[in-house]
Amino acid sequence: MRTARTTASAASHPATSLRPWQPRPGEWRAADAAHLLDRAGFGPEPGEAQRLADGTLDDALTALFEPPGHDPFYFEGIELLLGSGELEPLAAWWIGLMVAGGDPLGERIALMWHDHFATSNDKVADPRLMHRQNELFRKHGLGDFRALCHHVAKDPAMLVWLDGNENVRGRPNENFAREVMELFVLGIGSYTETDIREAARAFSGWGTRGRSFRFDPRKHDDGDKTVFGRTARFTPEGMLDWILAQPEAPRHIARRVLATFVTSNPKPELVDDAAARLVAHDWNVGALVRDVLRSEAFFDAASRNERIAGPVELVARATRRLGFDLAPRDLARATADMGQALFRPPSVKGWDGGEVWLNAGTWTARHNALLQGLTTLDDDGYHAAFARPESIEHAADLVLDGLLPGREPPGLREALLAELDGQPDPTSALRLATGLVLVDPAYHLV
Amino acid sequence: MHLTRRQLLVGGLAAAALTSLAPVRAARRFGANDDDRVLVVVQLTGGNDGLNTVVPFAQDAYYRLRPSLSLAPGAVHRLDDQTALHPELGPLAELFAEGQLAVVQGVGYPDPDRSHFRSMQIWHTADPGTDYGGGVARPEAGWLGRLAAQLAGDEGGMPALHVGRGDLPLSLKTPRGFTPTVRDARGFRLAEPRTGFGAARNRMLAARAAEAQGFTAERRALHAAAASTYDAAARMEALLSDQGRADYPNHRLAEELALAAQLIAGGFGTRLFGLTLDGFDTHARQTQTHAALMRELGQSLAAFQRDLADKGVSDRVVTLVFSEFGRRVEENASKGTDHGAAGPVLVMGAPVAGGLRGGAPDLGELTAGDLAHSVDFRALYASLEKDWLGLQPGTTVAPFDGLLA
Repeated sequence: MRTARTTASAASHPATSLRPWQPRPGEWRAADAAHLLDRAGFGPEPGEAQRLADGTLDDALTALFEPPGHDPFYFEGIELLLGSGELEPLAAWWIGLMVAGGDPLGERIALMWHDHFATSNDKVADPRLMHRQNELFRKHGLGDFRALCHHVAKDPAMLVWLDGNENVRGRPNENFAREVMELFVLGIGSYTETDIREAARAFSGWGTRGRSFRFDPRKHDDGDKTVFGRTARFTPEGMLDWILAQPEAPRHIARRVLATFVTSNPKPELVDDAAARLVAHDWNVGALVRDVLRSEAFFDAASRNERIAGPVELVARATRRLGFDLAPRDLARATADMGQALFRPPSVKGWDGGEVWLNAGTWTARHNALLQGLTTLDDDGYHAAFARPESIEHAADLVLDGLLPGREPPGLREALLAELDGQPDPTSALRLATGLVLVDPAYHLV
Repeated sequence: MHLTRRQLLVGGLAAAALTSLAPVRAARRFGANDDDRVLVVVQLTGGNDGLNTVVPFAQDAYYRLRPSLSLAPGAVHRLDDQTALHPELGPLAELFAEGQLAVVQGVGYPDPDRSHFRSMQIWHTADPGTDYGGGVARPEAGWLGRLAAQLAGDEGGMPALHVGRGDLPLSLKTPRGFTPTVRDARGFRLAEPRTGFGAARNRMLAARAAEAQGFTAERRALHAAAASTYDAAARMEALLSDQGRADYPNHRLAEELALAAQLIAGGFGTRLFGLTLDGFDTHARQTQTHAALMRELGQSLAAFQRDLADKGVSDRVVTLVFSEFGRRVEENASKGTDHGAAGPVLVMGAPVAGGLRGGAPDLGELTAGDLAHSVDFRALYASLEKDWLGLQPGTTVAPFDGLLA
């Protein structure tokens, strides 16, 4: 649960179930496809939303769930990048995958799990380990959550991050046990301090040797532990299974999926439905995400423009849509300036998101990064992103339809046209309109 | 506060954009009061050699333990018959003589940690008790960030600024959002793709301000962030270009302090400034390095203090200078010094009760080769938080008495 978001005054989302949307002919439009791509990936490339709208919603979902996959080129160079010991090349590599890779949903899910199992290189201090964890999210992110959780629990970066090596028989370190209950699986309030202390004993012995996981039986406390009312000689794996078996677990994961794709403020009934589906799908996250992206709730007007775009999604979306010729390193720096440095979340709680993204410093960074991107476009670049405008008014419509499809706020078109008045030619108007819309608050909602 | 015609114009235009959004906020944030008190914190990163900054020139042990690094009694600036300032700190000795500098000796905390990272974290959070290696991975906020949150209420604003090119110090990290950085006198440097773009952008925001009541909380927050950023950037640009730059020595710290002085005198409204001078980790051949740092520090601080006085604002600015630890009393084999414990803190300003505080360190009474602390740094923080800024201290340690005149 994102505490910062629950304090927001926004009314809760109206949906009570993930009932599938059955669009009648003509109802599935480019604006809907753009919404799907904005939330499930990193936004459309020029023409992509219309291409999807020319097919069916199911075709669009198939394209997301059965993607062409990343060009192997991306993975060949990574060892070389990691050899430097620097974090920045890794962050640049990842944002490059988001912008230009062949699996937008896979990267969006990886970003979701990076926020959920938030681990920072500030403490891990080893980009190789951060990369290995990132690959876990890519490989298992849409699979069985319980399996993902087991992988992450034994992930060396996580073990360093939450002091696995310090957790030994007789001197339990509660760090991992606490976060696995509070943040990763159950949510705050679903356990007692005694549960944490006892679970920590069960996790003792899990640690690292070099860059590998290892279980040291000599450091493991194999006595009886009582957690959630059951007493047993829990092994670390058995303990994790027992935590995952608690009734709050599916709801906690359902909330995370809903917050990522639909709303951070769902009705309890919607959470219940999503949790029940997760269990019915045998904890397959991909199947739940597919239900979510197929639902009326997802396409409801209340789901659109509901969220302040995070730095990574903002930068990736603008770069994909407009074709900025910026190096991935510049993109990674830009998101860091905006408050979201990949592989460096502010704490194990991840990024708070919402209004916390916004202040004078971060708005300046948003403004500058987006306008910096535009400086890489010549007239041909603008025409490729939109079309060649025939008039000043046409230029305004191209930009509004292209950047804010189906979600143009009232009054914006009039205000924009007033500023474009007097532009020497339609392309000049197109350029000015693009800059003005990018720094308009409307573009920063998703 | 004297507003120029241009400031009124720029401020008025942006205020129009804001009016329907958050009139109360606009009045509070942008109506900086003439008597708002300001705290400037200068961090000496790397562990400043306190004993060669504030020199116990009358103690034989100083010369015995530092055969090659000790400063000659004839070269230092004497503050009394025991204590003197580094030869390059002449400008600060003058301020001391004028009663505008408190030199607090022996400042530290219990069970000192000799790790740069950990000790700086302790100074930044004012919390030696919580080792953030476990539990929470990184502290949520620093002491200045917590003060900024008090000043801002829950309305955002710019009560704190980081001035400089480096990463944001943890001290300025706020519990909500984060503290902006101004790198240099070019201010926020908002990109302006073509002439008139900024004005067009402001008009577009203003044109829709009337509809703000119908906005969702998210959209309202975005409009407020945009409008207040553009307004702050415009005010900063106006007040920086309208003021002549005072005469400062050619140091980076001086440049940054000059910028802070301009923002303070121009009524920008920021109450907490954080600056950093790096390079104090002098493990080898430290004499020249340290002297250069002392020169930069002394000249910059003194120029800042003179400038504040010239601008008529010195009665509402206090400057704190600290480092994460002092250095080992005995020099090492490389003509340098290793990580130590307690060290001196400088508190500068017209409102300060100048003089020597905290008692001279006794080099005959070392703890593991280091100076023991006699003043807890949190007591100094508490005094500045409570007595100077009138805010809720972030520590339960009692305020240090008599820091302010």
